[in-house]
Amino acid sequence: MQEQSRLHTRFTLIAGVMALTLAGCQTTSPTTGSGNVSYGDAKAVETVTTDLGSTDIQMISEKMTSSLIQHPLVQDIIRKRQLLMASPVKNKTSEYFDTQQITDTVLTQLQKNGVRYVIEGENMQNQVDELRRQNQSGLYDKGKSVKMGKMQGAKYRLDGSISSIVKKTSDMKDVYYKMNLRLIEIESGIVEWSDEKEIRKSARR
Amino acid sequence: MKTPSLVSLAIVCVLAAPLVQAQPLADAPPAPSIASKIEEQGAMRYLKVSDLRAVRRDGLLRVQAEISNSSSSTQQLYYRFKWLDADGFTVWDEEPWKPQVIYGAQKQVISVVAPTFKATDFRLILQSPSNSGFDQPQQNSSPTY
Repeated sequence: MQEQSRLHTRFTLIAGVMALTLAGCQTTSPTTGSGNVSYGDAKAVETVTTDLGSTDIQMISEKMTSSLIQHPLVQDIIRKRQLLMASPVKNKTSEYFDTQQITDTVLTQLQKNGVRYVIEGENMQNQVDELRRQNQSGLYDKGKSVKMGKMQGAKYRLDGSISSIVKKTSDMKDVYYKMNLRLIEIESGIVEWSDEKEIRKSARR
Repeated sequence: MKTPSLVSLAIVCVLAAPLVQAQPLADAPPAPSIASKIEEQGAMRYLKVSDLRAVRRDGLLRVQAEISNSSSSTQQLYYRFKWLDADGFTVWDEEPWKPQVIYGAQKQVISVVAPTFKATDFRLILQSPSNSGFDQPQQNSSPTY
């Protein structure tokens, strides 16, 4: 009987210690997972390689937006509610990256200041599909559908290119990027504004 | 010719009417100090904001900061601005950190224009990793990836 009681006490002690250990593993952090993955700062200066990275895209977009909105013509575009569009930026560098990221950010930031822009390129297909669906599929109430032939064309367009010069030695790599952006009046083809952003990145090998 | 009061103003806050401060007014509000517009992440030993001025033109706040490097070696600086309205609310997304190299004994001017017409005030956030005034530099506090 005494032996049984001692066993019972020992079992209770072990269970208590295990419960405490398990409780010790729990944290107040609202995360789940093994801990090998973590979230970083999207605005941090990224220096992983010399390739064009997030910081470069952010700095280019910021410089271009800031330069655009202080131009009298762009302030006039905002006042007169004129339309803007962005042509695809030419990637003349030796790397692959989506240059639309730059113009998308510039347009988004301009729109926050009141600039109106129209879609183009890849997004145009979705627009045309939806117009056709509402007008030609026979599924929609004609009185409540949007009309064909009402789309508006832009008066100005953004166009540009990004190029790079890469120099390598046995122990060093130096990359110089230059992004050029222009604002062109579509009807006349006149370049009303242009600016460029230079970036130099070096790495020891 | 500028009056002494204008010269002494490190910051010309144009909200209180541009260049009005050129003529000393008895009841003019005191100009904000440089320190009130700067947020340093750790005291910087060699880099200092030696001049800071702000002006509002065409509805946009323009800021010019002069950073002086008192050491003879090149210093790495990271900076970004925080754009605020008159009530102290942020009016723009968090800016990306921007790297800036400042050579030994150089004075580097950082000139920016607010990204939005809503900005009427700002804070300049500075960080210089190898330049910390801490006894033990905090390596992890650098905004690099």
